[in-house]
Amino acid sequence: MSYNPGEDVIEVVRGPAPGAAAGAYRAFGETLRGLKTTFARIVEGPTTIQYPEEKTPVYPRFRGRHKLHRFEDTGLEKCVGCSLCAAACPADCIRVVAAENTPVNRVSAGERYAAVYEINLSRCIFCGYCEVACPFDAITMGHDYEMSDYTRSDLIFTKEMLLAEPIERTPLRSEGE
Amino acid sequence: MPRPEQKEIQFTIDGREVRAIEGAMLVDAAKHGDVEIPFFCYEPKLGNPVGACRMCLVEIEGIPKLQTSCSTPVKDGMVVHTQTDRVHAAQNAVVEFLLVNHPLDCPVCDKGGECPLQDITFGWGRGRSRFIEPKRHFVKPLSLSPLVAIDRERCILCYRCVRFSQEVAEDYQLIFAERGAHTYVSTFDGHPYVAPFSGNIIELCPVGALTSKPYRFRARPWDIEGAGGICTLCPSQCNVQFTVRDETVMRVLARENDEVDDGWLCDKGRFAYQSIHVDERIAAPLVRDGGELREVSWERALSVAAGLARHRGRVGALVGGQATNEEGFLLQSLMRQGLESPDIDSRGRASVPLELGRALAAPSLQAAVPDLEFAHTVLVLGCEPLDDAPILDLRIRKGVRRRGVNLAIASARPSALDANAKLSLRYPPGTEAAFLAELAAALAGPPSSGDISALAKLLLEGGEDVVILWGERVAADALPTLLRIAERLGLSGRAGAGLLEVPSGANGRGLREAGVLPGVGPGYAPAPAGRSAAQIAAAAADGRLTALYLFQTDPVRELPDRALWEAALHRAALVVAHASVLTEGIREHAAVVFPAESHAEKEGTVVHPDGRLQRLRGAIGHPNQVRAGWSVLAEISARVGHDQGVLTSPMAWEQLVAAVPFYAGLTLQEIGGRGVRWPDRAQAAQMPAGSAPSAPAPPGGSASSAPVAGAPANGGLRLGSYRPIWASPEVEISPALKFTICRQHVELSPQDAARLGIDHGEAVEVSQLDGSSAAYSGEAGSQARGKLEGTRVHGTAAVRSGVPQGTAFLADGIAQDSANELTEAVVEVRKP
Ligand code: SF4
Ligand code: SF4
Ligand code: SF4
Ligand code: SF4
Ligand code: FES
Repeated sequence: MSYNPGEDVIEVVRGPAPGAAAGAYRAFGETLRGLKTTFARIVEGPTTIQYPEEKTPVYPRFRGRHKLHRFEDTGLEKCVGCSLCAAACPADCIRVVAAENTPVNRVSAGERYAAVYEINLSRCIFCGYCEVACPFDAITMGHDYEMSDYTRSDLIFTKEMLLAEPIERTPLRSEGE
Repeated sequence: MPRPEQKEIQFTIDGREVRAIEGAMLVDAAKHGDVEIPFFCYEPKLGNPVGACRMCLVEIEGIPKLQTSCSTPVKDGMVVHTQTDRVHAAQNAVVEFLLVNHPLDCPVCDKGGECPLQDITFGWGRGRSRFIEPKRHFVKPLSLSPLVAIDRERCILCYRCVRFSQEVAEDYQLIFAERGAHTYVSTFDGHPYVAPFSGNIIELCPVGALTSKPYRFRARPWDIEGAGGICTLCPSQCNVQFTVRDETVMRVLARENDEVDDGWLCDKGRFAYQSIHVDERIAAPLVRDGGELREVSWERALSVAAGLARHRGRVGALVGGQATNEEGFLLQSLMRQGLESPDIDSRGRASVPLELGRALAAPSLQAAVPDLEFAHTVLVLGCEPLDDAPILDLRIRKGVRRRGVNLAIASARPSALDANAKLSLRYPPGTEAAFLAELAAALAGPPSSGDISALAKLLLEGGEDVVILWGERVAADALPTLLRIAERLGLSGRAGAGLLEVPSGANGRGLREAGVLPGVGPGYAPAPAGRSAAQIAAAAADGRLTALYLFQTDPVRELPDRALWEAALHRAALVVAHASVLTEGIREHAAVVFPAESHAEKEGTVVHPDGRLQRLRGAIGHPNQVRAGWSVLAEISARVGHDQGVLTSPMAWEQLVAAVPFYAGLTLQEIGGRGVRWPDRAQAAQMPAGSAPSAPAPPGGSASSAPVAGAPANGGLRLGSYRPIWASPEVEISPALKFTICRQHVELSPQDAARLGIDHGEAVEVSQLDGSSAAYSGEAGSQARGKLEGTRVHGTAAVRSGVPQGTAFLADGIAQDSANELTEAVVEVRKP
């Protein structure tokens, strides 16, 4: 029995053979059009940013590495260890263990303070929910985005690291830029 | 007393036809229609509603004003609306009003995240307050007691804590001081609120006004996990929920089970969890090396313990109340089959022969815990519920207060329940047999005058549901009479009536059923005769037993006759112990100490005094080098050549079920989180029947000499003992409970105190008077006798009006100056 391809027959449709003029245009016309853009940009000079010697400036609301804050007048920590940031964090990367302030050891303004405050930056997705959740503006997202390290455990930032004034390495975009 | 009948009615809520129990409060009935009504002060556990907070207002057709749904019982055909504008306006207003003085310092408030006020404000409040006036301020936080912190600014005056103190615990300490906007919760004169049940107010408070000090700022609800468990610090076996953060128990909450604890906990159960994570707890196996216990590897410790094989036939074992059924079962098998030593006991005081034990544990004779509440008459015999099983004290109070139970108390020592009792009878310590014989005679004979006849009359005529709650301290020779009285009252086979024994160990009942008794095998099967605890002590002291196995018990501390036990432990060549705290007997005498699990780590089953099998589940992993008790027992068993084939705790359970006919067919799943009462199952018929010996049995091996009836002639005082609720090593090492640590309080009657010239609170010295008793015989006995002569117990005099003249009560089970140093029935109390 001979093979019946049935409805599976494929018809190949070929375009008309190119003429000489159309072929020449195809070879050079489009290339020249592209080159026009190239030459037009050459006169503008290079725009490559030479990272890490040069850094992209970030917007003021850029969400980079977190910072914990102190009151400027008293020097007490703003964080009272309420754990609301930990509750809000979708990546579950904040760990807070609170303790009680005593007259001899007053760390924060409230009754309690964060004895342990850790953010695991290798898990953080920089969503900024922690900043929104904080009732005392104790944690904010900073501008630093250079956080690579050699071991994962070094990316767990402790309270002391978050409280320390970060070395400002990131330029900020000026107004309207 | 028959339980109230429950009739179903139909009512309409928010346009939905709903069926509910007649007489239920609307706020509960609404749940049947999936309607949630917010409330703060309503708490059925506290008794009748008070309607203090007005949060639960609803509209009922036919009643012009809004009604509090927490105090309005539902009626047939009622039409209720909870979603009308009037109701919403009222709810908004109540929330706004409650927040007038509320500080809203949720970030630092320990209740934040699990706060009904937060939830209700969010769900039913308006979201905005019109008050701009300054709020009322109090100093905060203050200590209400060493365990509870109070923040008066946050209090919404819901009355819950005050009602608990006034109507549930009946310690009458908490009150509302001042009136109107100045009202605040306080104790009289601002004394600390120290009471055995004070921790419950923390859980009751719907806001962060009352918070736990040990849990203060430890965690937020989203940091923690809850793990159901059982408290095995006393026989009440309350159901608890462990709050766990980072493999650490952070607090203990009640896990409501009406059949067991009614949703309350005592402070021991609530705060002694701290003993799990303290340095005093034994963390690794210890072996005595040059007179000192030193940490060693498990291998070394197990091989030392395997030396038990060399003492085959001469090993004695004692099992403490915290052991699970599985551990008891494995240990009795190790002893009986592996070491051919039938000397194993879990009853420290009196030993009860097999037949009598069976008769007392007969399923038809067992009362359940709720029966205490619904009985016509409850007789508390020879125990102090507050000390021996605290939660039963609350249950009895509830029965008396809310259901009019007739309460009678017959005990040697005055009871905390005396004030609630219709009748309180006192007998000299140790004379239960004589007392019960008189009672039996009064029950049988014609009515006459006298206290005992009055008790007989109450038992006979107060109603047919009688529950007798009796303690392990009741002398063994009184038990046949107790059975006869139960028979006379027709308690057998009667639902809602019966006997309820409070053993001295938390799992005392389960251990007996698992065969941890001399001459009694698993399931009350006969077993080769063995020695009771007191006989083990005597045999070890004179060298007939050469090795001792102490499973979570320290006889020097727990059992009567300290001197004899010291001699026994001293003489024994090998003492193997499982312990979590180095109590004196273990520290001085054990050759090997295995770190024992806490009740938050154990996996296994226990039996409640009323026959309810309950399941322990590991809430946390084993800290440090602690290993499961069953696995250590199985390992030692294998090393002495008796492989029990147990690789997991459920395998031990299966062996136990196979060995105990009245557990037949029970699975761990079936026991689940609520437990199963085996006397209610059909298989309970498999329990071998017992019989009471017709003649009173001789006091089985109890070391105490014959009790003295009348007041001692020689100016001495009869010695009675009691175990305070706080007398436990777990309490002693819990930092939060340090303030409760028991010292010896010698309870004296005012008359005796006056005669002896002793004032309340003075230091006293107690010594033995009668040196002629024949408790000690043989060569070891005379050794111990030498020690005995100089025995002096020091304590503080506590003059208590209820104490009968001629008796002094001393605490036992405490670390120092315990009553178990005294072995004579008559003592002399004087100023040192
Ligand atoms: S930025 Fe987002 S993911 Fe990162 S810590 Fe905050 S809440 Fe968590
Ligand atoms: S009681 Fe509740 S509402 Fe009040 S401060 Fe505490 S968490 Fe907030
Ligand atoms: S302290 Fe708590 S439980 Fe007591 S009245 Fe105030 S809010 Fe209610
Ligand atoms: S009454 Fe007993 S079982 Fe209940 S919490 Fe207290 S110690 Fe634990
Ligand atoms: S719950 Fe009804 S008034 Fe408080």
